[in-house]
Amino acid sequence: MYNEALRIEDLHLSYRGLVGTSFSKPRSLGFFESGLQPGEQELISNANLVVQKGETLCIGGASGQGKSALLRVIAGLARPTAGRIFIFGEYIPPERLTALNIAQRQVGLVFQNGALISNLRVRDNVALPLRYHKMGSPAEIEEKVNMAMDLMRVRDYANQFPHTLSVGMQKRVAIARSWAMGPQLLLMDEPTAGLDNYNRRNLLPLIDNMRTLFKTTIIIVTHDLMMAKELGCKITFLSHKQLTEPQYFDDWLNGDTIITRDLFRDLRNSG
Amino acid sequence: MEVQANTKKLTLIGQKFHALGMFLLRRNAGQEVALFVRAIASIFSKNRSFKADAKNIIMQTFFTGVEIFPILFIVATLFGTVVIIEVISLMGKVGFSDVVGGLMVVVIIRELGPILTAFLIAGRSGSSLTTYIGGMVINSEVDALATMGVDPIRYLVMPGLIGGSIATFIMTIIFSSSAICAGFLMTKIAIFITGNAFNVQLTWSYLSTEILKAMTFTDFIFIVVKPLVFGCIITTNACYQAMNIPRDIRQVPKATGKSVIKSFFYIVCADVFISLFYFIDYFNEISKII
Repeated sequence: MYNEALRIEDLHLSYRGLVGTSFSKPRSLGFFESGLQPGEQELISNANLVVQKGETLCIGGASGQGKSALLRVIAGLARPTAGRIFIFGEYIPPERLTALNIAQRQVGLVFQNGALISNLRVRDNVALPLRYHKMGSPAEIEEKVNMAMDLMRVRDYANQFPHTLSVGMQKRVAIARSWAMGPQLLLMDEPTAGLDNYNRRNLLPLIDNMRTLFKTTIIIVTHDLMMAKELGCKITFLSHKQLTEPQYFDDWLNGDTIITRDLFRDLRNSG
Repeated sequence: MEVQANTKKLTLIGQKFHALGMFLLRRNAGQEVALFVRAIASIFSKNRSFKADAKNIIMQTFFTGVEIFPILFIVATLFGTVVIIEVISLMGKVGFSDVVGGLMVVVIIRELGPILTAFLIAGRSGSSLTTYIGGMVINSEVDALATMGVDPIRYLVMPGLIGGSIATFIMTIIFSSSAICAGFLMTKIAIFITGNAFNVQLTWSYLSTEILKAMTFTDFIFIVVKPLVFGCIITTNACYQAMNIPRDIRQVPKATGKSVIKSFFYIVCADVFISLFYFIDYFNEISKII
């Protein structure tokens, strides 16, 4: 159990749970509403997943299957209807399954749209969590921020506001922000979407470095199955409300399942 | 479910209190009070930084005050002019010149000054705050803050609440002062232009002496308390409406409108409640006479 970064058991998520509760509402509200209400549709049903420490796992699947929703549940932004979640071997009870509590366990999330704070410059965006949590002296924070910006090659834009950057650039800043915090479990939602080939190629070694140097466990939701191949990580698919057993890219490619027939068709045809 | 199980361990009185608490928390007003308490409590969280907090609060005070100042000053001046002309000309006609100061205190300082300032701030700064935080909710920025361990209530609501309340207090003082001073000047100009058609005898020493004579100890207390209460209401309500926006951009203007209208309603309710304290003054006066 100790070597596991994440364990999900019998997870159920409805559309109501996906919306989650507002931060303005007291946390004590909503527990009585758990469980599937009559006539309510489920987005994820009976999903199970185990991710070992230091492992990288890709979650694939067709659009609208609930891949991003699953990340939101792990990050504490959506409330599961039922199920148990363990992070680094610790069971997180439903009333503790909030984003602020999960973040304390060194779990980071890179949003699909970057989600940069619009009134802060790039440098301040990257520095925000470090300053808030007082993770070092101002000089140390500055050094860490510069390093993160150099890694994602966004230092030239350090004094710009997010709205002046392209979507791909915003995503790189968001990755730099997450990297600077040094999370032990990093959740990434479509990290390569919106990136050109050059930046995509540069992102993959960075993810690989985080895995090898910092032993970061990384869970990536993606449509870019080639990324999983290049990273040499297992892929699990979310299909028909359930997660499949994770396998390597080649195993999926050579296998013949209903889930992957469509997803791998183009890759097979291209050889 | 686990919370439900824990409540069974409570005594009967405890269960009743718990049920009452949950009943209140399920209401919007109850949730707004809870948000206010959480925002105040967040000042003392372990992530507090006096320098950063002071900077955020000053920025918020400046933001609220500066954007409202031009329109507030104009409204205060015109409002003061109308009140001064109406009160002095009417009271002079009916022979109640000695109550001019009392009326000015009631109308400008005690009642309409704070309320009009609060309405202007709710309409201008409260709606801006709702739109600003609402936009952040739509863009997942608030979610991003939480996933970084940055408490959105501490980072967004608390500076808005403290800064907004301080700005409301400052703006109320400016409104009342402008209404009296600029209103006096405007009235003098009006008298000069019309050749004193209103038949008003007005001097600054007369006006200021009358106002100061009419002000009680309770007035001085509520000059501070009322704007702070109104400021808390406006900012808490604005933040609450913004944070409850579902992920739908069409909900932002709806929430903004709701924030303004609800603020108006809450302000009037709070004003009625605060006005009840003036009964204490009234009873004190009566007891002195008896």
